[in-house]
Amino acid sequence: MLPPSETRVWVWPNSRTLGLAAVLVAMCYAGASQSNGAAYLLCFIITSLAIVSLVHAWTNLHGLDASVESIPPVFAGDDVAAPVVLTARKGGSHFGVQVSVSEGAPSAPEGAVLPESPTRLEVRFPSPGRGHYRVIPLRITSDYPLGFFTARRHIKVAHEFYVYPAPHGDLPFPLAIAPTRQPRDGVRHEGDDFGGTRLWRTGESQRHIDWKAAARNPVLLTKQWTGETDEILHLDWASLPGLDTETRLRQLARWVVAAERGFETYELRLPGKIVRASRGDHHFHACLRALAAFESPAAD
Amino acid sequence: METFRQSRYSSNVATAPLVGMIIALGAAVIPMGEKVAGWVIFGFFVACIARIIFNRPGARLPSLPLKLLLFAGSVGGVAFSYGSALGIEPGFSILVALVGLKLIEANGPRDFHVLGLLAFFLALCDLFFSQDLLRWLYVAIIVLLVLATLVRFHRGTSPGGYSRSTWLAMRLLLQALPIAVLLFLFFPRVYGGFRFQFSQSLMNIGGMSDRLSPGSMSSIALNSDVVFRADFPDGNIPPMSSMYWRGGVLWRGDELTWVLGPFFSRTEYHPAPMSGPKIRQRISLQPHGGRWLFALDRPTEMRGASYLPGGVLQSKRAILSRYRYEVTSLPEDRETRLPSDQMKAALELPAHLSPRVKALVASWKAESNNPAKLVEAALRYFRRERFVYTLQPGSYNDANALEEFLFERRQGFCEHYAAAFATLMRVAGVPSRVVIGYHAGEYNSLGKYVIVRQSDAHAWCEVWLQNVGWQRIDPTDVIAPDRISSNLESYLESHTSQSDATSGERSLAATGWREIQHDLQLAWDSLNYQWDLHILNFDEDAQMNFLMLLGLGSVSWASILIWVLIATALFVGGLSFFLRRSRSTVDKVARGYAGFCHALARAGLPREPWEGAQHFAARASAHFPEQAELIGRVSQLYIELRYGRGESSAERFLTAVRRLPRFTVTSGT
Repeated sequence: MLPPSETRVWVWPNSRTLGLAAVLVAMCYAGASQSNGAAYLLCFIITSLAIVSLVHAWTNLHGLDASVESIPPVFAGDDVAAPVVLTARKGGSHFGVQVSVSEGAPSAPEGAVLPESPTRLEVRFPSPGRGHYRVIPLRITSDYPLGFFTARRHIKVAHEFYVYPAPHGDLPFPLAIAPTRQPRDGVRHEGDDFGGTRLWRTGESQRHIDWKAAARNPVLLTKQWTGETDEILHLDWASLPGLDTETRLRQLARWVVAAERGFETYELRLPGKIVRASRGDHHFHACLRALAAFESPAAD
Repeated sequence: METFRQSRYSSNVATAPLVGMIIALGAAVIPMGEKVAGWVIFGFFVACIARIIFNRPGARLPSLPLKLLLFAGSVGGVAFSYGSALGIEPGFSILVALVGLKLIEANGPRDFHVLGLLAFFLALCDLFFSQDLLRWLYVAIIVLLVLATLVRFHRGTSPGGYSRSTWLAMRLLLQALPIAVLLFLFFPRVYGGFRFQFSQSLMNIGGMSDRLSPGSMSSIALNSDVVFRADFPDGNIPPMSSMYWRGGVLWRGDELTWVLGPFFSRTEYHPAPMSGPKIRQRISLQPHGGRWLFALDRPTEMRGASYLPGGVLQSKRAILSRYRYEVTSLPEDRETRLPSDQMKAALELPAHLSPRVKALVASWKAESNNPAKLVEAALRYFRRERFVYTLQPGSYNDANALEEFLFERRQGFCEHYAAAFATLMRVAGVPSRVVIGYHAGEYNSLGKYVIVRQSDAHAWCEVWLQNVGWQRIDPTDVIAPDRISSNLESYLESHTSQSDATSGERSLAATGWREIQHDLQLAWDSLNYQWDLHILNFDEDAQMNFLMLLGLGSVSWASILIWVLIATALFVGGLSFFLRRSRSTVDKVARGYAGFCHALARAGLPREPWEGAQHFAARASAHFPEQAELIGRVSQLYIELRYGRGESSAERFLTAVRRLPRFTVTSGT
């Protein structure tokens, strides 16, 4: 891969080039049919201007460097927001710059990219399928100076980002496993303290369901009392036989999200990868990253 | 960027570029004013103002039904104004109306560029009406304005605004010139084949007509439009007073009105063998819509033109675009034999002739029957009887105009004198005819050519004298001799200033100023003439001649085009290299640091090849403690530029380098 500022700049005609060509043909025709030397001269000058503007369009993107700052992970289907930093590497200013990724709408910085002042902008694009990506293909375009040609540059920026599988599936949670004690019935014992809530599972007593929360949240939560929390939820790939890979990953992602929301301790077991039982933000993302990277189709 | 917003019917073009584009469009519409219906022009400018006023975020632009209504309204209105929607003037009116409509609906980058293209197209239309240098410069300014506006649009909110944009537009134009010149010289010109002429109704064509009647010359006498310019390649320029530019010969006269007359059979007409000194002229004729080809008195035959029995040249088709031709004249050439049909035509009398005229001529004939003596008698009559040469002779009654002119009013312009004189000669039995054309002109000493304007229009007379041939007699010369020795403008000037010679001093200063003004005018005309000769007249033939001059006469167009492409590609390559270099300040930084190292080396502290910038700075600071701060600053900036994250300024570094003093050891040890 070339360093970003060395990739080639291509200048392409656009729809306006056609319009310009039509006007030029009209001028040439007027020159010929009216034996109008002035019309010929006008035609030639505007033709030359278009050619010269092509060179300016080319130099306008020359020496423009782009890098990406950390991209927050997203679930498949959401838009990725990439913070892009544009730098004028070779001392010139760059005008009318637009940056886009794949089919995303182009975004443009306020004003020009001036030397000595890196310009930040957010480029949003629809997320590709779930996966672990290491390269962002930035497309940088500019119609400067006259708009009759578009200068285009494809810069592949090396940057990691994850697209998590979209949480989906309504299979019930696998049962929690308590490594030290038998699973408890969830009955409140004297002296126990309120310790938050966790997901309610079918078969449990309904006495401790947090009904107030149920009104806000479709997932039923049950009130938890100290002493219960050392149970570990095993979210296991192997517990979902008969489904295809992506469906399994989506189901696992949904469980991970629900487990995290329910303050559970959970462990993710994938073929060849186990994320040890824990909870909290860091653990949550580690699990989702593992899901995203699982047999990741996007190697680059 | 400020130019991208979502809503479809709301304005989203920034005001600054929009205003620039509207000014360019307005400037391009103005020269079309006289060929476009007045209300359309008015509507266009209303649309311009409305578009600017409504150009604020969220303002609603007209909806589709309203636009369709306006479109139908303007086309219908034009059709109603002109009685038809077809034709040139309705066509231009509809064009302007459509541009106005496009303007009010324009709301995005795409529409903005369409407006730019429309401005280019309107600029092209401006060139249909006139092609002189002034118009072309006007069009060039429109093009520059459109360029600046487009650049301004693409710069968005970048600092600099219009001044930077205009600067870039000018640079673009300058850089485009070499390719434009190349294309102009070498791009194959094709004319003809698919001629679609509509210049006639676009250009203001006027001037000479095929008939001479009282007032036909005086009506154009104050028109300073250029008819043609002539230069003399051999350098022999006849004196101004004898420059009679022959245009047409009128054979049939009735009272003071003369017309072309019969068409003679060519078989009976044999031009006499040519003799006498030759005057070669190259004439650049402005389009006049007729078929006249002017040339100094007694032109010889010319390729591409008919030679008529009166000794005049006529183009085979109407002159609707500038025409340049070369013609040789023989001022002393005379026919020796008059064919019988011409003799008959030259003696034909008007149907009714007043007895007073007959009596006048009879009195001359009583003295002598010699044609030369009769000519003299008539001229003497004009001289003695207080005839007045005037631009406002008043109108004469058609029925007995000649009698009224000769015996009562005695006021006339050249056409009156030429017509009256020719009729008198016929009554006296001397064959005569009237010649129309131009007399003299203005000599441009800067360009060494003669400018002939409509105001130089003139009519004179020719009589047939046995053994002499057709002899030119200019009765105006007798009435107003100084009119013939100078041009009309100065004649009128001198004759009016005589009447109100009140303040001599002021008029002296005024004369000085007028002379400067006149010189400037001549210089400008000379430029215009060069423009005409070298740019407007560079057609198929001129291009062929140019290629032959370069020795490329036999090279095929395909290979010439390939060479043009190669040259363009080389130029583009060179330009891109130059642009990249001039943009890049990296090299300047390297050179700046090299200069810094060189200065230290001269002071006895060379940088070791293995030494990094930081190490060298430390060593240098220790060596020159007085300048340690500056050395540290330069090195720090350099390191940031080279190895930092690109956040430090090249300019700051270069300034710091420039501020470096000469390094000297000031420790004194």
